[in-house]
Amino acid sequence: MNTTTTNKNGHETEKAAETQTRIQTLPHAGDLKNVMLWYFLRGMLATKLPWKKTAWTGAGFPIELLWAYDVFPLHPENMATVAAARKQSQRLIEHAEGMGYSRDLCSYCKTNFGAVDTGIKTTLGGIAKPDFIAITNTICDTHWKWFHIQARKFKVPTFVFDCPSYVSGTDEKTMEGYVDYLVEQFFEFHVFMRKHFGRNFDESKMRMVMEKSDRLCALWNEIYELRKSVPACYSSAETSASFFPLVVLPGVDVGIKFFEKIRDDLKKRVDRGEGTLNTGKEKFRLMYEGIPFWYRMKFMYELAKYDAVVVYEPYTYSFGPRKPLDLNLLDTLRHVARTMLDLPYSYNLEKRIGYFKKVIEEYRLDGVILHENMSCRPSSTGMMDLKEAIQRDCGIPVLILQCDMNDPRAYSEGPVRTRLEGFIELMEENRRRGS
Amino acid sequence: MPNGVSQGEKPTGTGYTNITGAVHVKTIAYFDSSHDMPEEVIDAAGFIPVKIMGDVHKSNDPADQYLPKFFCPAARSWLTEALSRSGDWEGIVFAHGCDATNRHFDVWKLHVQTPFLYWFNSPIKTDAVAARFFRKELERLIAALEKQFGTQVMEECLREALRKSNEVKKRLRELSALRSTKDVSNREYLEIITHCLSSSKDASIAALDSALNEWKSRGPFPAGKRRFYLTGSDITYPEFMDLLDECGIRVVRDDLSLGERYFATSFTETGDPLNAIVDYYMNIPRPATKLSIGGRVDFILKSLEETPVDAVLSQNLKFCEPYAYDSVIVNDEIREKGFRVLHLEREFTPVTDHQVMNRITAFTEML
Ligand code: SF4
Ligand code: SF4
Repeated sequence: MNTTTTNKNGHETEKAAETQTRIQTLPHAGDLKNVMLWYFLRGMLATKLPWKKTAWTGAGFPIELLWAYDVFPLHPENMATVAAARKQSQRLIEHAEGMGYSRDLCSYCKTNFGAVDTGIKTTLGGIAKPDFIAITNTICDTHWKWFHIQARKFKVPTFVFDCPSYVSGTDEKTMEGYVDYLVEQFFEFHVFMRKHFGRNFDESKMRMVMEKSDRLCALWNEIYELRKSVPACYSSAETSASFFPLVVLPGVDVGIKFFEKIRDDLKKRVDRGEGTLNTGKEKFRLMYEGIPFWYRMKFMYELAKYDAVVVYEPYTYSFGPRKPLDLNLLDTLRHVARTMLDLPYSYNLEKRIGYFKKVIEEYRLDGVILHENMSCRPSSTGMMDLKEAIQRDCGIPVLILQCDMNDPRAYSEGPVRTRLEGFIELMEENRRRGS
Repeated sequence: MPNGVSQGEKPTGTGYTNITGAVHVKTIAYFDSSHDMPEEVIDAAGFIPVKIMGDVHKSNDPADQYLPKFFCPAARSWLTEALSRSGDWEGIVFAHGCDATNRHFDVWKLHVQTPFLYWFNSPIKTDAVAARFFRKELERLIAALEKQFGTQVMEECLREALRKSNEVKKRLRELSALRSTKDVSNREYLEIITHCLSSSKDASIAALDSALNEWKSRGPFPAGKRRFYLTGSDITYPEFMDLLDECGIRVVRDDLSLGERYFATSFTETGDPLNAIVDYYMNIPRPATKLSIGGRVDFILKSLEETPVDAVLSQNLKFCEPYAYDSVIVNDEIREKGFRVLHLEREFTPVTDHQVMNRITAFTEML
């Protein structure tokens, strides 16, 4: 049953009753648990067996490089999201603040500081000490600052890929110079691995890893193609979790099998003309830019109450760039370097505006939610300009929500709801004007 | 005194005439979150390099239209300044700095009116690969300046720029050393440095010479004042330095970019000048915006060995992440060496913060 409320402007807002419209998960959604279990068990083994090596790494780092060296990637950001989902992040963040870390710092980082200092269990977001640290500044400085601090405490070696910033207006020649700089650092990484762990580079292993990684990314791209369908077949309520293999498992089989099942589920759903909303009454197709509120994933599910579905997230899309394979090793490295410098999540403003406009058209979007993340200054820069450009050029409303991805203290239930409802009203009005 | 016009200089319409009557060329402003921008290249291209430092007395409303308030207020103040003053400059060079600034370039590109907005990617690492990259970036900057302004950056001009820069740094080192023996206020020290960062090198040298003469004749270090080491976020306005004086603190050593980091080392004057620039910037004391923490700690501890101090003041500008990340571990490592450290957070304001004063006073009373 739909309820009708009247807002302060006298417009009527149709709201589906909470119990009625909801996200229906895919038949194989639950298989993600097995993928995660595989990862965590392998991780446990890798940290216990003396001949195995582990590295802490983060978003933007070419994980394939680690798999190619038979290094198991531990992912503090990912574990920080686990802590948030298990309702542990706030206490860990407050613990880190008690250690002297400012309230203004990235909450992933503070969750990790708290997790390490309290020795919390892996199932609640804890993480083992690594053999070394491998990180890059391509997305943010927080990554290398945070990891550098931990490396100094653990007394483990660190390798940082220094990625130049690819700002608006950078020409191709300059970009090539940046790629050269990164490729030189790949060779430095090989020197680092030999020096600290006596490991040599195995080109055939690297090629195999890259092939698998590209297979995983190709599947993710197929999934994103299917997400163009109307009604939406897959929402961010699910993708925010299911993209996990792209974070740590590019280069191994386990994620590929999972993505194949998801892709097949989606194909069936699309062929049947069904959507992710159980009622099939999809009204608003949305983009969500930024990191989700991991401590409150209900937000993504609750959009269904308004017959709204997030069908595109630059955040999850960013983890799946294709890796062309008909290239020689040097070209492959150049390609990897280029993707490190130029990820959708960290596109410069000019490129980001063009990218958003294209996605809005291709995915037939009715509105955009921008998460102005108090933890993440890099991704929050330029949001006001982005909002203005979208509203002006695409004629759809944009909602900026100032919150935090891991710190529940920055999320206020009432104001978020009020602003969300105002946004829904704007889309309603847009719809009315359009029709 | 406005940026780009030094004391003793007057605008001439096409350039500035300094006290010796020589005509100076126009200014190019630069943006860097520490001391990353090779201003000597701008100098060699025939422009006065002017560091954008913002104005703590002006509201950040203009910048706040484009940047959220949880961004570093100093960086927002720089945008505010550029929005209103970019017409005074021939162009702006924007150096890779920190998260509060790197992506700001894109915002500036949309909103700041200037014929020349240039991005200079200074690396965060200092190894041989980074040094090669830095040199390429220097060559790219030189080519861009030459193209934009129809000028030529000659090797002799670069050499001369390095020589003059060294002259400035040498005098600043001498002045800085007087802080622990003479009666030099915190404000005077900051003001002479900010003057050097916004004036021609000739004008800076003249101002430094006269300050040197005058400071040398000052009375001894005032009895009752405490000698402090100052670290943390850069301080761009003298009111905070006044506050320290009011609390009975004299800063005698520091590792700030508007401070010792700027003049701790010099350029090699022989050999290829571009290589000398690379060497210099790869070897200046590390700020929190660059690798590594160890380098920062080592520099601080070395200074603390050289100059006896009563304590270390570590301060963090609200929302300044790089120094906030470093502060816990850096301060712990300094404490481990037996030094007393006070850490505090400050707002970007010229108004006296009584809470901050109370904390400092309580701390100094315990010494
Ligand atoms: S949330 Fe932002 S600042 Fe924090 S680690 Fe991720 S990208 Fe970096
Ligand atoms: S004060 Fe801190 S945050 Fe602000 S520009 Fe400087 S280093 Fe960056």
